[in-house]
Amino acid sequence: MSESASSLRDRGKTAFLRSIVLIALWWLAARAADSPLLPSPADVAQSIWISAKSGVLFRAVGTSAARLVVGYAIALLAGVPLGALLARSRVVKNAIGPLVLGLGAVPSICWLPLAILWFGLTETAIQVVVVLGALLPIATATESAVSHVSPSIERAARTMGASGATLLFRVTLPAAVPGISAGAKLGWTFALRSLMAGELLFVSGGLGQLLETGRDMGDTALVLAVVLAVVALARVCELALFSPIDREIARRWGTANA
Amino acid sequence: MNGLFGAGSRALGDADAHAREGAKVVTAGPAISLDHVSCVFQSKNGGGQLALEDISLTVDQGELVCLLGPSGSGKSTLLNVVAGLVKPSSGRVRAGAEDVLGPGPDRAVVFQDAALFPWLTLEENVAFPLKLAAVPEDERNARVESLLRLVHLWHFRDRHPHELSGGMRQRGAIARALANDPAVLLLDEPFGALDAQTRELLHAEVERIHSATRKTMLFVTHSVIEAVRLADRIVLMGTRPGRILDVLTVDLPRPRHSADAEVAELALRAGAAIAREVDKVAREEEGRV
Ligand SMILES: Nc1ncnc2c1ncn2[C@@H]1O[C@H](COP(=O)(O)OP(=O)(O)OP(=O)(O)O)[C@@H](O)[C@H]1O
Ligand SMILES: [Mg+2]
Repeated sequence: MSESASSLRDRGKTAFLRSIVLIALWWLAARAADSPLLPSPADVAQSIWISAKSGVLFRAVGTSAARLVVGYAIALLAGVPLGALLARSRVVKNAIGPLVLGLGAVPSICWLPLAILWFGLTETAIQVVVVLGALLPIATATESAVSHVSPSIERAARTMGASGATLLFRVTLPAAVPGISAGAKLGWTFALRSLMAGELLFVSGGLGQLLETGRDMGDTALVLAVVLAVVALARVCELALFSPIDREIARRWGTANA
Repeated sequence: MNGLFGAGSRALGDADAHAREGAKVVTAGPAISLDHVSCVFQSKNGGGQLALEDISLTVDQGELVCLLGPSGSGKSTLLNVVAGLVKPSSGRVRAGAEDVLGPGPDRAVVFQDAALFPWLTLEENVAFPLKLAAVPEDERNARVESLLRLVHLWHFRDRHPHELSGGMRQRGAIARALANDPAVLLLDEPFGALDAQTRELLHAEVERIHSATRKTMLFVTHSVIEAVRLADRIVLMGTRPGRILDVLTVDLPRPRHSADAEVAELALRAGAAIAREVDKVAREEEGRV
């Protein structure tokens, strides 16, 4: 216990030192460049402060986060069953397997023009992009995780009398959880990327749009401030959601702690 | 601590008493019977592989039979046919009086890799088949405890499989297989991946469990010593096609030990009987390289 606490403190310390060094280097570079194109850390901090105080930043973070949560939830709810079906049903695999692979190769932002033609400049249009971005990696990872469940695990369950839905929900899917969770994590990064791309192109609130505003006004400090906000959003979700899940999976399934 | 061990030996005592009673009322008739069973695996290039050819074998109730043979002699296939996991191409398979149509809780299997569910603790693993069979919670808990005590793993009940040694995992798998009180226990090289000392300990454990529960056991191995150490009868199998070469009765007193002179002598005889087959496999595999 005390060991892990002290190693955590050590890690915190190195992270802190690393940030100090980075900020110092950035500050020196900004001093040397002396140009509005490379604002100093202080300028960016001020920009963050101003946009936070006016509420612009929080509104943008809120809008983006809400879109992310909704789109990601849909992708998860559809992607896991889709992947399980692809792994377990020859008919489904033959019918839509190539389609899923093909769609997976297309960056989801490519669907934005079509989505706008179909749904107009609406939330639905941008959700289509987010969902498509996250759904395919989640489905592909789930398919692979389910098809790689050790045959002896499933055979053991069948000799105990498990079959059909019982086998799927109480044995196969739990056995595939580490792989599905890796896919879910990948899906999350894809959702974030798709959302930022979508918001940059399609002006309607969110962090992407704030980036565009910064560029329009030639406000490099604001652009960098928003980039930092995106990094923070990604890291907070990672630390608050995915790290605990990973630790729990490592504890129970015995997978290596990543 | 003392309390736990005390309860443990009591549980085992109960099992012994139960077994003695059970032995008296054992009904006649084989526990497993195979009639002219053949099994062909279709390969992708259209050809067929005869994994089992015309196997006829009966295993009596309470008997411990070892299937001994070189790699590829169809031992696992035969076990899986009895388990109902593989359908034979022809012939008839019965467990007790019933035809085998698929897997069922009357025939439990212990696999080489234990196949414990990694997301469950040891206790939850042993409880799993009982939950599937809708055994009420009180009874389930009592049964899990007596099974884990039977295999000396009660102290480790809260561990996940990855926190156990290979030998502990196999003992856990045996406890789980015994959970629904199956008529037959099928073991496919359960100790194949373990070191010699652990294996020796587990042999004693299997012997003890067999005499305590009087379960019919079909035990696959490619170790001659293991077969002689454990079996009432040894079925010697050969390759290409997988078939029965001979059946040896092991009439040695129990408990046995791998270092016993009689065990070593019989192992030598059994070894000689399959040496030709092992040679054949080795030659074939060399020829292919
Ligand atoms: N699912 C399968 N599909 C095709 N061929 C199979 C399959 N299972 C087994 N075989 C073939 O059947 C033969 C017997 O295999 P089996 O696994 O029963 O042998 P074994 O005696 O258990 O060998 P080992 O000691 O290596 O486990 C082998 O030649 C193998 O290639
Ligand atoms: Mg085998």
